[in-house]
Amino acid sequence: MYERIASNRRRTTFIIILFVIFIAALGFAIGYYLDYRYSVSSSYSILLMIFALVIAIIISFGSYFFSDRIVLGLTGASPLLREENPRVYYMAEGLSIAAGIPMPKVYVIEEQGMNAFATGRNPGKGVVVLTRGIINNLDDEELKGVIAHELSHIKNYDILLGTVIVILVGMVTIISNLMFRSFLFGGNRRSSSSKNAGGGIFSLVFLIIGLILIIFSPLIAAFIRFAVSRQREYLADSNGALITRYPAGLANALKKISLYSEVRTANNATEHMFIASPFGKNTKIAFSSLFNTHPPIAERIKRLQEMSLGIGIKSEAEIASEVKTENAAEIASEDEIAD
Amino acid sequence: MLAAILVPIIIVVVIIVVILIAGVGIYNGIVTMRNRIDNAWSQIDVQLRKRFDLIPNLVETVKGYAAHEKETLEKVIMARGVGMQAQTVEDSAKASNMITGTLKTLFAVAEQYPNLKADQHFTKMMEELQGIESNIAYARQFYNDTVLSYNTRIQTFPGNIFAGWYKFITRQYFEIEEAEARGPVKVQF
Repeated sequence: MYERIASNRRRTTFIIILFVIFIAALGFAIGYYLDYRYSVSSSYSILLMIFALVIAIIISFGSYFFSDRIVLGLTGASPLLREENPRVYYMAEGLSIAAGIPMPKVYVIEEQGMNAFATGRNPGKGVVVLTRGIINNLDDEELKGVIAHELSHIKNYDILLGTVIVILVGMVTIISNLMFRSFLFGGNRRSSSSKNAGGGIFSLVFLIIGLILIIFSPLIAAFIRFAVSRQREYLADSNGALITRYPAGLANALKKISLYSEVRTANNATEHMFIASPFGKNTKIAFSSLFNTHPPIAERIKRLQEMSLGIGIKSEAEIASEVKTENAAEIASEDEIAD
Repeated sequence: MLAAILVPIIIVVVIIVVILIAGVGIYNGIVTMRNRIDNAWSQIDVQLRKRFDLIPNLVETVKGYAAHEKETLEKVIMARGVGMQAQTVEDSAKASNMITGTLKTLFAVAEQYPNLKADQHFTKMMEELQGIESNIAYARQFYNDTVLSYNTRIQTFPGNIFAGWYKFITRQYFEIEEAEARGPVKVQF
């Protein structure tokens, strides 16, 4: 557990540094491209790199201090009050005592899809976010399993890494998309400027590096998320089960969640934070399993079932009958129409 | 010539430094774990105190409807008194189990008084008590987990060496005695 915290802190630092270097390199690449195109003495490249560096550092600090609020805002979560839902409030209180962390704030997303995530930069500032659907469709033992899963993310600082990644990776994705487009549509003018013969080779090298960065940045972004997320879901599952002492609760919860886990306010940047993929089953994109930040839910259920020795595990029929599937199907079809 | 003398000295110094650093690390680790136990204990203590505070109110309310159940009420008050006097973990655990037991009897008695059961104040206190009872169970779980890892550390190598030198002693678990109390405490009303 405590090694895990150190590892998450290290990774967060590493990713922030990587981000700063990445942005600075991008700035330099753009600058070099501009120098090359307008054949000015290389001033744009240095200027832009410094500018990018400053921006990147500001964003990094910002993402450390404000990312939890940004994430809550992005997903449209609002605080859940004790008076409004004592059941969930006391559950979170009790489980956080069992986990040995301060009680996190509880937020709710008004959506019918069943999902949950945690955010914040340390356990003192932890936030557990649940959708209305998960609160309504899960019984006490299942919801406890889910909350305990999120609490273990909070306890071992997965939330710090996860939340910082949302902002940084989100930023990289946006920038690289912008860049890629500008290169694609602005590139043809380059051939007209044949004045710079001296720096030509270097310019070309940097241009290629820049292009590689730009083309690969979505892949890099996907890779980062992929690298941090898969194992830790298994870990949070087993730590969560350790808190509730009832693996079947989370196993049953995951079974229900797998029926309908769509969250419409989730996007590529926030996807990895959720307990199950908020895009549900309709991710039929090529290589989606390679870039999927979540381990297969069936495998997670299997591991929890093994842990529970089969005690308390609900059958598929029981699961299906407890979830208001008509409602879910309705909303799912609405989605299809909207798309 | 000089190297022939220096190399063994450097090796010996390096080994000593490594051992010292490792020793400091292990010692600090044990102390950190011991502090965690105190923190975990304070979590239990907070919940126990909440229950101590609730009991007089509860007893007063029950008295209003069932004054002649004196014996049961006195037992609850007595158990509370024992709990508040408890100094060690073992005594606290015993008293806590006793309070839980006497409260159960109290609720069984309350079952026979429909007016009492209908009392809003009483119902609210019951709910609160239910919450506290489950929080005690959670806090106990965390405390016992913490004690387990601490005790294991000071009983196994190399922690046991430090335990001998610095008089680290094993801590007591917060235990439930009654067989029937193992499992979630359900308060029915």
